[in-house]
Amino acid sequence: MFGWTGKLLHVDLTRGTCERREIPSEILHAYLGGRGLGVRLMRDYFRLGPFEPDMPLIFAVGPLCGTNSPTAARLACVSRSPLTGTIYDCSAGGRFAWRLKAAGLDALFITGKSPHPVVLCIDPVRDELHPAQSLWGKGVKETVAALKERGSVTAIGPAGENGVLFANIMMGEGNSIGRGGLGAVMGAKGLKAVTAQGDGVTGIADRERFDAARADVMRLFLASPVIFGELGIAEYGTPALVDLMAQRRMAPTENFRSTFFAGSGNYSGPAIRKECGARKEGCYGCPIQCKKASAAGEPLPEYETVNHFGALNGISDLHAIVRANTMCNELGLDTISAAATLSAFGEARGRFPDAAEVASLLADIAYRHDQGELLSLGSRRVGEVLGKPELSMSVKSLELPAYDPRGAYGMALAYVTSNRGGCHLRAYPISHEILRKPVPTDRFSFSGKARIIKIAEDVNAAVDSLVACKFAFFGATLEEYGELLSAVTGVEYGPESLKAIGERIYLTERFYNCGNGFDRSHDTLPRRFFEEAGSAGEGIDVPPIDRARFDEELQKYYRIRGLDEDGGFGDRDLLGELP
Amino acid sequence: MRDQISKYTGKLLADRSACADGIAFAAQDDALITAGAPDLAALAGGTLSRLNSLALVAARPSLPFADFLIARAGEGEECIVPQDTETRTFLHDIPFLRKKDLAGDPAPVLARLLGNRKGVIVEGIGIVAVGAITVEQAFINYSSVFHSTFVKYLQDLLADGFRLPGEREAFEAFRRQWLRPLFAEGLDFAGALSLDKNGILAEIERVGRYTVERGLVDSFFGNISVSAGELIYISQTAASLDELKGCIDPVPADNSSTTGITASSELLAHRKIYEQTGARVILHGHPKFSVVMSMLCDRKRECAIKDCWKECPHVRDLGGTPVVAGEIGAGGLAKRVPPVIGASGSAIVYGHGVFTLGRQGFGEAFAAMVDVENFCREEYFRQLDITKA
Ligand code: SF4
Ligand SMILES: [Zn+2]
Ligand SMILES: [Zn+2]
Repeated sequence: MFGWTGKLLHVDLTRGTCERREIPSEILHAYLGGRGLGVRLMRDYFRLGPFEPDMPLIFAVGPLCGTNSPTAARLACVSRSPLTGTIYDCSAGGRFAWRLKAAGLDALFITGKSPHPVVLCIDPVRDELHPAQSLWGKGVKETVAALKERGSVTAIGPAGENGVLFANIMMGEGNSIGRGGLGAVMGAKGLKAVTAQGDGVTGIADRERFDAARADVMRLFLASPVIFGELGIAEYGTPALVDLMAQRRMAPTENFRSTFFAGSGNYSGPAIRKECGARKEGCYGCPIQCKKASAAGEPLPEYETVNHFGALNGISDLHAIVRANTMCNELGLDTISAAATLSAFGEARGRFPDAAEVASLLADIAYRHDQGELLSLGSRRVGEVLGKPELSMSVKSLELPAYDPRGAYGMALAYVTSNRGGCHLRAYPISHEILRKPVPTDRFSFSGKARIIKIAEDVNAAVDSLVACKFAFFGATLEEYGELLSAVTGVEYGPESLKAIGERIYLTERFYNCGNGFDRSHDTLPRRFFEEAGSAGEGIDVPPIDRARFDEELQKYYRIRGLDEDGGFGDRDLLGELP
Repeated sequence: MRDQISKYTGKLLADRSACADGIAFAAQDDALITAGAPDLAALAGGTLSRLNSLALVAARPSLPFADFLIARAGEGEECIVPQDTETRTFLHDIPFLRKKDLAGDPAPVLARLLGNRKGVIVEGIGIVAVGAITVEQAFINYSSVFHSTFVKYLQDLLADGFRLPGEREAFEAFRRQWLRPLFAEGLDFAGALSLDKNGILAEIERVGRYTVERGLVDSFFGNISVSAGELIYISQTAASLDELKGCIDPVPADNSSTTGITASSELLAHRKIYEQTGARVILHGHPKFSVVMSMLCDRKRECAIKDCWKECPHVRDLGGTPVVAGEIGAGGLAKRVPPVIGASGSAIVYGHGVFTLGRQGFGEAFAAMVDVENFCREEYFRQLDITKA
């Protein structure tokens, strides 16, 4: 077999066993890897609660991992989110994914609950659990440093140990498995970290075809202003979006009360470069290198993070924002949900936290001290406890990132149809509504958006299963990635067959969610977006979203997806139809 | 979506790339709609309904070049591989279906081909192109295929001469009737551009329209900019030159803001050209004869370089206009064009297109592009006539 290793490591933490098993090749061909494989492997478990010991925590790489396919040294982590209750996956870069593959594995399947804290250590000769009492309670940096002899590390910080509902799993180089709180799932299992090393190579079925496809991808990267343009993300990282979102009047400000923040220039791409001496960094094996680090090697915040610790909390001090980002990384907290929860809390009590208070609240959250006890539950639960549920700017309990849906109607629809809740990375319509890739669409129109969102969700489910980075698709398309995949695996794939795989994955996720009680009533935005206008300016008006038109497009979306009016499957036994 | 369909039907008619009675579109929202010539519309609908995409165009090109390319292709070949940059970068190759292989309903096999590519050619039927997320995208892909087949056919013809019955006559008709004289006379240009924003935007929009109306470029192939003190006003990426209203980014010359992340991928080339030449405006487009002629090199036999389009270090010459190699965007074009364009006011990029300058305004740049294309057109026919004789 080329591309895949065909092996999964089954770890039972309750019994303390590690066992390598075969993955049937039909499953790999039909779900690729990453998100798709993880979601498929959840089939018998999706009804379990996120903290039940038998709930699996799955790490899965893809068939391109281990080759020099651009942006493909990534993995997906899949489980059920304690924050949202939905099926959950997150894609992350870093050497760990590459080393896991080199250790001969396509996936890690971890169940059970260890009686004492443990570290899982993987290498080609032995897969073992080691006691980790001494690491429990330690920050991410120290944990990673303590384990670095054993290869690449992925670990949780205090937030994960303490069950913060938006705790991340952190990769050794600073990448994160973010948003849905999978760090808390890992913590509940008593698993502090996983290390991986290996020297296996991923076989390529057709080297010549692979080289040609790779050259095609690189040419498209060069031709994409968003990627390699002189103002693009390779130069400035995702904070390149700060100025653009300000100009487009869609930068969420003060808990989404407005959409323009006068101080945003303080944390724009050029400002970060100037103030922090930003240098290029990025996921292992990625030619884009969109992440930035300070001269001292400290990871600098991404667009969503600067906006949310910035505008969303009314803070314009760049250094305070960078500090908040560093703290979250160290504690193992999701930056978007942390900042958005603070913002909802701020609005509810009538005062947004200032820079100094942010730092102390973040520590309180991770350790669940004082107010941190409540805040560790995320904005929805905070809003409910404070009697102001409407102030949680979330969908399915996942806090919205830094793209105001009043400024991009595809984004509005994408937030509510995302299977993991309020996330920008599923359909990712920002690509065409704002960045004009692959072609521009009218951001203030719902016309055609239901179909566009559906197609993009399918495409991105395939991308997350390859596992490639979304940013690659500001230039390349599934045509070129299909070529890479065919060349690597020797199995023929093209855009249409990949989209079909994506659709299969998307529907499976939705089916799991419906099985857990989700329906149309969860596919909606906070009231504010239908009732209050955003900030006008530069000739742009940002009216509230027309609820009737929104509902109409959502119904269209259900029809296109083959769902019933309630967004469900009726009597259909979807899983019975699928491989 | 019906309004989009009529809009892009209109564009296909205006740029004369498709036959008036041979255009059809299909689009699907929650339901499938089709419009246009009935046979083609049925084919378009049947094909699109099998695809996870939003729109599709099926149209008969106004020139028989695509069919000629198929007829000239070898027995076992299944696609044509044009050498121009647009195709190389965005389409890679263009699959085709032969008439003799079209038994029954072609929609399923078409859908299978379009499942892997943006556009295909069906012999005797036309060009079928898909738009993953918009009707416009289907139109763009049609135009790209039309452009590619035009360029490739002209290249092949120069290399190998006429081979098919009726080919010479059809080509003569193209030469005498389809092609129209290209000229800049009768257009209004602001003499010397001021620094006034509104004036600049209006001028860019107007010039963009002119390039398309005069048949100099197909609508979305190119970009335009004006240098104004601390700012460069430049058309956005993926913008149609004839519809630039609201699609022009002001980019600070010192990169103090990144709003221009949506600007054309040639921003860097434009910026360097301004730095090195002091020009006020730049016009860039892909006129077809310039693209064809730029790829002719009499040293191909002895030259060790095979990736000429990006690696060729030589500066060649076409009627006084320098020709250089270089890839789009952050590729080599931004390095190779600026040093050569100042002296002549124009430059051609291998397999890609033309950049021209105006020291005051667009009059000069537009005239220069017309001159380059006219020179290349004449030179093409001169060489063709020699090889035929
Ligand atoms: S583009 Fe950025 S996020 Fe994506 S793989 Fe590369 S470095 Fe990582
Ligand atoms: Zn060009
Ligand atoms: Zn040469």
